[in-house]
Amino acid sequence: MLKLIISHETRQIMRTGALWSILILLIGAIIFASWSGGRSIERQVEGAEAAVTFENGLRDHMRKDTEKYAAQVEAEGGEYKFATVRHAPGSGPPQGTNAGAVGAETSKYVTLPPTGLAALSVGQSDIQLNYLPISLATTLDVTKNLELENPVNLATGSFDIAFVVIFLLPIFILAMSYDLLSSEKERGTLAMILAHPISVRELMASKIISRAAVMLAVVLGFGLIALITVGTGLGTADTWMRFALWILATLLYLAFWFALAVLVNVYGKNSASNGTVLAGIWLILVVITPQLVSMLATTIYPTPSRMELTIAAREAQTEAEKNFMSKLDEYYYDHLEFVPEGDEKAMDFLTLAQANNNSIEKAVRPLYDNFQNQLNKQEALVQRFQYLSPAIMMQLALNEVSGTSADRYEYFLSQVYVFHEEWKEYFSTKFLQRYPLKPADYGSFPEFHYQEQPFGLVIARLVPSLLGMLILFLGVMLVPFLALRNYQVASR
Amino acid sequence: MIISIARKEFAEIVRDGRFKWTATIMVLLLLTAMMAGYQKYTTAVRIQHAAQTGTNQQWLDQGDKNPHSAAHYGNYAFKPAGPLSYFDNGISNYTGTAVFMEAHKQNFAIGRPASDQSAIARFGDLSGANILQLLLPLLIIFLGFTSFSGERESGTLRQVLSMGVTNRQLLWGKALGVGSAVLIVVLPCILVGALALSMAQSVDHAEGMATRLATLSIAYLMYAGIFLFLTLAVSALTRHARTTLMVLVGFWAFTGFLMPKAASEISKFTEPTPAFGKWMADMRAHQLRGFDGVPPFAKFARYTKELFKEYGVTSVGELPMYFVAVRLQKLEEYDYPVFDQHYGMIREAYTSQRKVQDQLGILAPTLPLRSISMAISGTDLIQHVKFMTDAETYRRNMVVKMNDYLSKASVHLNTTYSSSNYMRADEEVFAIVPPFEFEPPNLNTMLAEHRSNFILLFLWLAAAIGLAIFAANRISLERN
Repeated sequence: MLKLIISHETRQIMRTGALWSILILLIGAIIFASWSGGRSIERQVEGAEAAVTFENGLRDHMRKDTEKYAAQVEAEGGEYKFATVRHAPGSGPPQGTNAGAVGAETSKYVTLPPTGLAALSVGQSDIQLNYLPISLATTLDVTKNLELENPVNLATGSFDIAFVVIFLLPIFILAMSYDLLSSEKERGTLAMILAHPISVRELMASKIISRAAVMLAVVLGFGLIALITVGTGLGTADTWMRFALWILATLLYLAFWFALAVLVNVYGKNSASNGTVLAGIWLILVVITPQLVSMLATTIYPTPSRMELTIAAREAQTEAEKNFMSKLDEYYYDHLEFVPEGDEKAMDFLTLAQANNNSIEKAVRPLYDNFQNQLNKQEALVQRFQYLSPAIMMQLALNEVSGTSADRYEYFLSQVYVFHEEWKEYFSTKFLQRYPLKPADYGSFPEFHYQEQPFGLVIARLVPSLLGMLILFLGVMLVPFLALRNYQVASR
Repeated sequence: MIISIARKEFAEIVRDGRFKWTATIMVLLLLTAMMAGYQKYTTAVRIQHAAQTGTNQQWLDQGDKNPHSAAHYGNYAFKPAGPLSYFDNGISNYTGTAVFMEAHKQNFAIGRPASDQSAIARFGDLSGANILQLLLPLLIIFLGFTSFSGERESGTLRQVLSMGVTNRQLLWGKALGVGSAVLIVVLPCILVGALALSMAQSVDHAEGMATRLATLSIAYLMYAGIFLFLTLAVSALTRHARTTLMVLVGFWAFTGFLMPKAASEISKFTEPTPAFGKWMADMRAHQLRGFDGVPPFAKFARYTKELFKEYGVTSVGELPMYFVAVRLQKLEEYDYPVFDQHYGMIREAYTSQRKVQDQLGILAPTLPLRSISMAISGTDLIQHVKFMTDAETYRRNMVVKMNDYLSKASVHLNTTYSSSNYMRADEEVFAIVPPFEFEPPNLNTMLAEHRSNFILLFLWLAAAIGLAIFAANRISLERN
């Protein structure tokens, strides 16, 4: 009997014009979202490549100079020497022999590669810069750059698959199931159907299953197509494991909204009032609650102002500079090219720059740690309050699955800081030893390889969101499930 | 007749439990949003004032040093909050708040608040503007969707028509009824807003607060009008109340949620924003090879020859100005056109994107309203671009002043210069650079910039009224 009703319902909804327009809209939205999500990630990758190429080019130029110089030394005899001053003009050893100059004037860009699913949920990746310049400068300089994007677009947010799933899918689900029972009642067919040997529970189940099946077929089918067209790393297990989690999260989220539609149908009055209630609930869960939680988080744990931080950091910097500059003069420290030739202080200025950066870093570190601390508290609060809205849970889950979450970026940053130390160590040691860089040394500069988060960590971070959605779904489902046992057509 | 229809409609709505619920929720949300916004706004104003004063003082207190080193030390420009940012925070969360102004380099604004917030900040701010842009239309739809189709379903429409009421009377009566029901929800909020505004005026003396409030009210009233008449039109055109609701909620989701994002993606496609890495590489390469293909150092060598000729001298020592300072300033100036071109490119991209999005307002009334609201609140792109331009103008002036001073004060060092022989300047010299002050764009210019958006809103309103009249005229006794 259930089977019969399901096939009847499926056939019926497949012949409704409204359903087709909903499905076509949905498919259109998914295609548009994959296209724009794909473009967004592509742009990040292109930006990273251009930056890497440019800086490598600068270093390559320096390497070629040293090659020429080495050949010259070989031909004319003499010692392979160290360039003393930055921007040294004309003859003599080129800048490329000076590790201090190479380390300070060129940057090594380190990149956070997108996961295979990044295009499906752009998440925070449009405001985080996924490629950072590493040089002898301070840690603060590593993170000061921002990805370029029109702030209007950032404020509006991406039209990615995550948006389609979180915002649009519920609307479509509610549009196709707000009048499951009420329309039958209004047409007077409900009593007739129930005269057959079928319970309301079965009828409801079959209606929902048929709709959910159609919806799922579309979402999963086009989700897969999206992954194949704009996803990357399709050959890796990581991508497919992430996609499996993406499907799981989407299933739970959809299940919740179908359950909600059932709940409202059981307790609702007529179709129009069901529609109002569902639209209202959608607005509260998807729009208002996340905004309220966000407001709460920033009010309870306000992030210290960046302005105040800037002032404080500057204070520390001035103090540090004054201490160092009392012996040596800051003017030439800014412009080594003006140090008169043969002036013995020249090398000291580069040393000074190193020492100066170190002391600024030390002074400013506590301020930034305090900053990060407050942010972590905010994040923890959001994690706790996410259960108030399936939309928050879903957004956090999808960012996590797609590797566009704040925590993956933090994971990347922690590796970047370590690499920054390594890079500084390499160049400053060679510089302080006055070791002349040889062409061969250019091949042995430190390299950065991002170590991906262990998959267990991703899952561990996903569990609260997924579990939350599951419990929410079961809770919402349970009520009508019990209520439908004694559903009286006539009394309603 | 119109009045009695309106009275009936109004009474019916106001007595409905749904009205009480939605109205209460909406008023509570608006008040919460305004209060939280106001609290954030006053904090922001205080911090910005303190920070700007602080950094100006730091500039003076930086310790005796060479004027050019002082220019390296530089200064910060801190962005003030828009005068109505507690109502509409606009793009403020996504623009940097501090620009470092230093010798040799034009910088972007750093410290984007959104980067320091959790991922859920991306769901948007709970601001007065957001509530009026998204919740108010839904409230209107909820209150008005049954006005024709509901009566049609319950059979009362036939009765009313048989009493000799004209279709126009029916339409205007219902518009008046639903409209006043909406107003009794919104009016208290507007009053609270005006109250907050008068409080804000004591915090920040922004120009034309009355004009701002008036224009904002007109824009939002037009927006509400669009939804009111669309609701009536759809209600008159559809047979069942549930269809009315679905069509209207669908349109609401389309204009409020789908279109802004779609418009943003479309504008990014037609006017792409360069990626940071690509842009930076291009600009630095351009700097190295020189704006016109002549590398800066070669260009300066040529300039030196001209300079010698001009003063009829043969060596640096005979020049009447400090040669090193001239060189610093020249190299600075060679970068101006490069900065102008590359930073300009981004500015242009953003501006064209904004225009594309505004044009797409022909499909969704939320788009023009959003633009107008941000502009009047002083939290939009025009405001930000002006801030960035002001900061760059200030930077160039600061560097010129310091280099010029050095050029005049150190002439005697031309012949005898070594790393322990250079001039030091003190606070008095640094004080020749006036403190940074941001001059917000003129309100009238802003309004002129958004003329097309006002026109779009007006067209939407006219179309909605037209559709409502057309739909009302179609109603006839025979067909019901």
